[in-house]
Amino acid sequence: MKVFVPTPLRSYTGQLACVEAQGATVGELLADLDRRYPGIRFRMIDEQDAIRPHIRFFVNAEQVRDLGAALRPADEVQILQALSGG
Amino acid sequence: MAKRDKTSRTPAAPPAWATGADGLPAVSQEELLRYGRHLILPEVGLQGQRRLKASSVLLVGAGGLGSPLALYLAAAGVGRIGIVDFDRVEESNLQRQVLYGASSLGRAKIEAAETRLADLNPHVEIEAHEARLTSANALDLLRRYDVVADGTDNFPTRYLVNDACVLLGKPNAYGSIFRFEGQASVFDARRGPCYRCLYPEPPPPGLVPSCAEGGVLGVLPGVIGLIQGVEILKLLLDLGETLIGRLLLFDALAMRFREVRLGKDPTCPICSEQPTIRELIDYEAFCGLTPAPADAESFEIGPRELAAALARGETTLIDVREPHEHEIAHIEGARLIPLGRLPESLGELDSSEQIVLHCHTGERSMRALEFLRQSGFRKLRNLRGGIDAWSREVDPEVPRY
Repeated sequence: MKVFVPTPLRSYTGQLACVEAQGATVGELLADLDRRYPGIRFRMIDEQDAIRPHIRFFVNAEQVRDLGAALRPADEVQILQALSGG
Repeated sequence: MAKRDKTSRTPAAPPAWATGADGLPAVSQEELLRYGRHLILPEVGLQGQRRLKASSVLLVGAGGLGSPLALYLAAAGVGRIGIVDFDRVEESNLQRQVLYGASSLGRAKIEAAETRLADLNPHVEIEAHEARLTSANALDLLRRYDVVADGTDNFPTRYLVNDACVLLGKPNAYGSIFRFEGQASVFDARRGPCYRCLYPEPPPPGLVPSCAEGGVLGVLPGVIGLIQGVEILKLLLDLGETLIGRLLLFDALAMRFREVRLGKDPTCPICSEQPTIRELIDYEAFCGLTPAPADAESFEIGPRELAAALARGETTLIDVREPHEHEIAHIEGARLIPLGRLPESLGELDSSEQIVLHCHTGERSMRALEFLRQSGFRKLRNLRGGIDAWSREVDPEVPRY
């Protein structure tokens, strides 16, 4: 499925804004992303497996707060990161 | 408009728009001409234009986002525009901060903005607040305006603006930018989520570059700032559908807008029913930005001292800037590890060696130093003034940017 990556994490994806990854849940999707782009998961998920508070996940434009949330192959996942610039 | 033939005999009472008898501000003939294109919009009209004149907006920050906002809000006739900023105009601002020109260089932004906006529209009042927005002055400042626009460049001020808006019940027209990406929304805790509902905490300091460090496309703040501007006019005129409850994402490279829905967080520390934050807090501390460690200076090394240490082969020099900055200018022998990559590169560093960190001007490398220190490294130094100082004091062949 399509995953949209925020600018601060694009150093992991070769500057790609949109990448493909698979998973039946958000957690699995992140594990797959980490296989493709090593290190990217840790920037989003902390040592206790909690979503970092400046990172948010949206599936088809709706926020998911649980890594166990189910995904279907046609879903679009948006990863958000807080930006400070102005 | 009054019909002349019917009123020519007895002198007609002047219309309310000319006297303000109906409670809205009066407008002059000059203003009627100036705002003509608004007046013929049924959604705005003369009443709407007078409502704009009666309204007030506070711009927090007069930089990339604040510049286009200030220009367009003044042109549109928002009656009272407050601007809070404490910076001076620098050359590197002019690539995107269109409020200023070559003649503003070195002047206080507030002052230069006042001059420019007074020329643009003498019918609006500009209130210049040359200050840093703090927990001590924020409530008194924000209280006096109908809408607040968050155009700052740092997380502590963004949380401060949010919290003050929630406590005062004001809408916050929000925008933020980085490189080619922008985000915009309207946070109004009375009608929807606040900024903390979206991002409960900022990223840890140091690991995400600011625009000063990571760069920003000059036109981007124009796009995002004016989205804030449109939302502000809609809020003031009570028009259309605002971004309350939605976050608009803009990717300039793909030239695509995306949108996500935002809900109120029932556990939000400030805007939920059981808030844990009831007054403004210490935002530097909240964002993990303890003021530069008291001993920061003792970690510094000057450019000449570094040159001598390098000549003796006693030190490992690490450049924490980005690869394209390295391409513009670098110090011979420095190893490039961009700040964002530092955590995963720890294993490649030898904590028994003397390590000197450098960046463009010394800020990012200080954060890198703090990070390494917390990771157990002890023999650390930060190049004072970065590669910029190196170019000025040691090797003028290294270009400055």
